[in-house]
Amino acid sequence: MSRLDILTFVRLRGIMAALVVAMAAIIAAEPAMAATPAEQFVSTNVQRGLSILNNHSISDTQRRAEFRDFLTSLTDIRRIALFTLGAARRTASPADVDAFVNAFREYAVAVYESRLNQYAGQSLRVTGSSDVGPGDTVVTTVLVDPNGKSNGQEPIEVDFRVVQDNGHFVVIDASIVGVWLGQEEREQFTSFLQQNNGNVPALTQHLQQLAAQLRAGGH
Amino acid sequence: MRKSWAALTIALGLVVAGCATTTDTNSQVQTDPDDPLEGWNRQIFAMNQQFDHVLLKPTAEAYVAVVPEFARDGVHNFLTNLNTPVVFTNDLLQGEVNLAGQSVGRFGLNSTIGLGGLIDVATPAGLPYHSSDFGQTLGVWGVGDDPYLVVPLLGPTNPRDLTGYVADTFMQPLNYVGIRDYTYWALGEGAAGILDTRARNIDTLNQLEQTSVDPYASTRSLYRQYRRAHIQHGKTNLKNLPPM
Repeated sequence: MSRLDILTFVRLRGIMAALVVAMAAIIAAEPAMAATPAEQFVSTNVQRGLSILNNHSISDTQRRAEFRDFLTSLTDIRRIALFTLGAARRTASPADVDAFVNAFREYAVAVYESRLNQYAGQSLRVTGSSDVGPGDTVVTTVLVDPNGKSNGQEPIEVDFRVVQDNGHFVVIDASIVGVWLGQEEREQFTSFLQQNNGNVPALTQHLQQLAAQLRAGGH
Repeated sequence: MRKSWAALTIALGLVVAGCATTTDTNSQVQTDPDDPLEGWNRQIFAMNQQFDHVLLKPTAEAYVAVVPEFARDGVHNFLTNLNTPVVFTNDLLQGEVNLAGQSVGRFGLNSTIGLGGLIDVATPAGLPYHSSDFGQTLGVWGVGDDPYLVVPLLGPTNPRDLTGYVADTFMQPLNYVGIRDYTYWALGEGAAGILDTRARNIDTLNQLEQTSVDPYASTRSLYRQYRRAHIQHGKTNLKNLPPM
C-alpha cells in the first residue's frame, strides 16, 4: 500500500455517510440514459430522495420523517436484517428473529438519520447495471460532488443491489467503493454473536441501545 | 529512514504473528475462519485506537482548527503528487497502460502548472486521480489476502499488502536522490501523510465508533472488501455476491 493509502479504509466510513446521499440523492441527471427498468427504478427513487432532502419549505422534523418513510419504502429491511443475522436466523426462535428485525430497522434508520446533516448537495449519476441472477441486478452509479471535493480523490462508485419482489423493485444492499454494507453488518453481527454464545436477544438489545444513543446524540 | 520504519513495522507484525502461533489465552477469540490471529489482532487494534485517542485525533483536530482548508488541500495534493511515481510503476506492473499514461499526465501537469503539486489541475483537465500500490499489484498477479493482520500504527493489512508497502518505498525515486537531511524529510513527509489522512477522516472515525456493533469486525470487513474491489479496479465481482 502506498503511504497515503495506509488508512484509506477509514475514508470508507466517511464515504458511507454518503449512503444517505446515495439512497437519497442519486440524481438521475439524465433519466433518458437509464436503459433498464432497474436503472430507471434507482434513478427515479434517488430523485425522490433528493427532492425530500432539498425541500426547505418543511420543518427539519418533517423532512426527517419523510426521509424515513422513503427509506423504508425503498428497501426490504426484513430481508436485509435476516441476511445480516447470518446462520443464527436458522436456530433462533421466530419471536427472537422478529424482535431482531424490529431492532435492526430502528438501528438502521437511526444510523442514517444521524448522518443526514452531512448531506451537502452531492448527487449520483447512474452509469449502468449488471445482472447477478434472474430478477437480481446491481445498478452502478458515480458520486457527483458539486463542491469539487472530488479533486485529488478517485471517483466514488456507489452500487445498489436491486431485486424484484412480487413485481416491485426493492433495494437489498448498497456498496460504496466496493464495500457492501449488508456484508459488513453481517460480519459485525456474526462476530458479536460468536462472542455472546449465539445469543440473538443480546444482539437485539445491543442494537436497541445503539439506536437510543444515536437518537440521544441530538442530530 | 522510511525503509527502516517499514522494516520495524514488519518486524513488529512478525513478532505478533509469532506470538500468536505459539500461545495462548489471548488467541482464543476467533470469529472469522480467515482471521486466525484475531485475539492478537484485537489487542493491537485496541492499542492503535488508544494511540489515536491520545495523540493522533487531538493533533488532527488541532490541525483542522488552525490550518485553513486551502492550505490543507495543498498539503494533500502535494503528498498525493509526490506518490505518483509509485502509482505509475504499479500501473505498468499491472499492465494498465492507460492508467500509467494518466499518471504521467497528472504528474506532469500538477508538478508544473499545479505549482509543484500543490494544486490538482489534472483532475479538472480530465485526468482523475487513481491509486495503485504493490499490494494491489500482487493481488492482480493472483496473490491472496490471508491472513488478516493488524499492525501497530499501520493498522489493518495482510502479508501481501505489508510486503507491497515495503516494495512501494523502493519505487519512490526520492529514496535514491540523496536529499540532504533525508531523515528529517522522510519523517516530515510521513507525519504529514498521517496527519492529512487522519484529519480528513475525523467525522468518519467518530461515526465508526458510534455506530458499530463491533468496530474491529467492521474494520476487518471494510478493509478486505475495499482491497478486493481495488484489485478489481473498483468493479464489483458479481460472482462473489452472496445470495440474499
